Amino acid sequence: MSNKSASVWTSIRFWRRSAAWVTGTATVLLIWLTFDTMGQISMGSDADLAKGIKKRIPAATVINYHIDYKMDDKRGHEVPVIGEKEKFFGKEWSAKDAAALLHLGKLTSQAKNCMDCHTLLGNGGYYAPDLTKAWLDTKWNDGTMTGITGKNTKEEAMAEFLMHPSQYPTHARMMPDLGITKNEAVALVAFLKHMSSIDTNGFPRNFSQSAKRLEGGTHAH
Amino acid sequence: MLTDAHLKYESQKLAMNYFRVALVLFGAQLVMGLIVAIQFVYPGFLFEIFDFSVARMVHINALVVWMLFAMIGSVYYMIPDETGEEAVGIKLGKLAFWVLTAAITVVVLVFIFVQVGSGSEASIWFINEGREYLEAPRWADIGIVAVILVFYYNVFATYIKGKRTGIMTVMVANLFALAGLYLCGMFFTDNISMDQYWWWWVIHLWVEATWEVFVGTLAAYALIKIIGAKREIVEMWLWIEVLMLFGSGILGLGHHYFWIGTPEYWWEIGALFSALEPVPLVAMFVHVLYDWGKEQGHAEAKGDAKVINNTPAMAWIVANAFGNFLGAGIWGFFHTLPQVNIYTHGTQFTAAHGHLSFFGAYATILIAMMYLAVQGAYGIKRMTMTFKTKMSLFLTIFGVLGMAVALTIAGYEQVLVERADLGGGWDAFFTAQNLPWYIQAQGWRLVMGIVTFAGFVYLAWDLLTIGAVESAQEESEGAAAAATA
Amino acid sequence: MWETCADISCNNLFAWLNQGPLTLTLFLHTVVVIPMFFIYFQEKKRLQEEN
Repeated sequence: MSNKSASVWTSIRFWRRSAAWVTGTATVLLIWLTFDTMGQISMGSDADLAKGIKKRIPAATVINYHIDYKMDDKRGHEVPVIGEKEKFFGKEWSAKDAAALLHLGKLTSQAKNCMDCHTLLGNGGYYAPDLTKAWLDTKWNDGTMTGITGKNTKEEAMAEFLMHPSQYPTHARMMPDLGITKNEAVALVAFLKHMSSIDTNGFPRNFSQSAKRLEGGTHAH
Repeated sequence: MLTDAHLKYESQKLAMNYFRVALVLFGAQLVMGLIVAIQFVYPGFLFEIFDFSVARMVHINALVVWMLFAMIGSVYYMIPDETGEEAVGIKLGKLAFWVLTAAITVVVLVFIFVQVGSGSEASIWFINEGREYLEAPRWADIGIVAVILVFYYNVFATYIKGKRTGIMTVMVANLFALAGLYLCGMFFTDNISMDQYWWWWVIHLWVEATWEVFVGTLAAYALIKIIGAKREIVEMWLWIEVLMLFGSGILGLGHHYFWIGTPEYWWEIGALFSALEPVPLVAMFVHVLYDWGKEQGHAEAKGDAKVINNTPAMAWIVANAFGNFLGAGIWGFFHTLPQVNIYTHGTQFTAAHGHLSFFGAYATILIAMMYLAVQGAYGIKRMTMTFKTKMSLFLTIFGVLGMAVALTIAGYEQVLVERADLGGGWDAFFTAQNLPWYIQAQGWRLVMGIVTFAGFVYLAWDLLTIGAVESAQEESEGAAAAATA
Repeated sequence: MWETCADISCNNLFAWLNQGPLTLTLFLHTVVVIPMFFIYFQEKKRLQEEN
């Protein structure tokens, strides 16, 4: 028995066993992590909202609440803050109606292929603004878009814009008319409002805060 | 590409069909890419006729599908070489090819002419699913699964029947995972976070795990074919690559779970595992060049001048080794850490990485496989580069690199102005999009896109003609040699 | 050095392991890598016995 010629580093068996071990363990860990994450990203309930229990993805009835996005010192980034109740399209939505509305909104977002121009949660095509926190965008809150569309509330302005986007151009690059109906538009706004309440660990950072300050860009050439 | 006269196995003849369709879809992908590149510079181009979303949808789906076709073709081509057997269910395999091609044609025609549907389940089932890369409607998903089952049966049953090489063992295991993962993308949920969680299982575990292992397997097979690399060494490398690719790539999935509503613990899991993803790509690069040098040395010691029996394929393999490391490794590492990614996520950075890595890691090696297949189909002993091969290599590599650099500059500007300075949002987005730096970068991207397309024209032209030209040359040389002897 | 969990849910194993910079990911890497030493020495022994 000699010790000299036994090089494990050139042994196919060693590498094959190691590959099998590493792949297997990584897979098991991923599945375990997935179970844990599934629990944390399943949608909350209407009762959670009423009791103020924080969920990463709140129930569809979050559309009945005021949503903000504020710096959390403990977590070190911005988090969605669900506040007082507010009317959405002039009424409070029941749990059933809100869920149905979110369902239609999500379906419409896929059927109209929003994701191949916009990004949702940062994923998609990079041709149009990110929609993760679109509900909270200053453009809808500072009177710009309500003025252009001639609507009183931002949800109505959003719905109007979604139905006839190319009638309200803000830049040379416009959103095309996708034949979105009134119902679909309302549902899409609900979908966007719901998405803005998702805890995205602080993405996008410093959202829309300083846009006003630097209006007009940097003029750098 | 035009004949399969010299191929002994039906499986390899079927592979030629897959390669032909792949080449057509590759062309379609580039045409769509040009349209979206033009729209970035001239937003009025085809507005409300053939919008960006539609062109991009066809662009990325043609990409995925041509690669899947070329991958299936590559496997059908290598099955008889590796196992020593004809594919067992070849009749079914041929039927599946026509079914798949017909289904893909219908899907693309619907994408192009119907474009979008109403907000209903019917749209998801019959028009498009609206999930980037997985836009194929549900009926087509199910069809694809059925066809893939037939394909997998052919691979698995032939493997069981024939020789069981290490290369085929990895192939069979990896294809099982690759095919199974597709199922994760076939459901609808109202919860966008849940939606994207499983969506990434398909996208990431394809392109950063199973597809990469697939590339390793193809490279192993091709090195044995092209330079006569020693099987023991190649297979040992292959296991090392599997170890490192899956070891980093599977949990590297975490780098997509930073900002989609998933818990914070994904930050560090995604950060460190994905930061190791370039390591196997370095290994693959070293492996290809080392084996090439070694075999060339052996050949020269024996008095042979050339060890490579297919220089176009070898050139594309080397392009793959380097492109995979550069595009997937370096460009991926650029923005994989959460500290950086919070600003780069959803910017042109991702587009730059996407272009360079899909080309560098996948297009290159699949093109190499096409050249190998052409060599076999025309029965050429030693295939060498033509002027067209060199032009296609130069123009596509230069073009894609140029696009990636242009998009990186655009992304950089977007990160600084839109994200870091202005904090995202509608105004921030357009402020960044309208700065001269960004516009110039998009202009260069268009120019480089045209260069890439010119490269593709040479590539297609070369693949269609090189076989006939070089087999005729070899015949006349052979006849001349016989006459002098 | 040690940071308390600040996430929404801290009531799970992975959040608990995440007790500061890189603790969770280093733990997972260790879990994956350590048994390879065992495989290494087992293979070494086997190869030596074959010789």
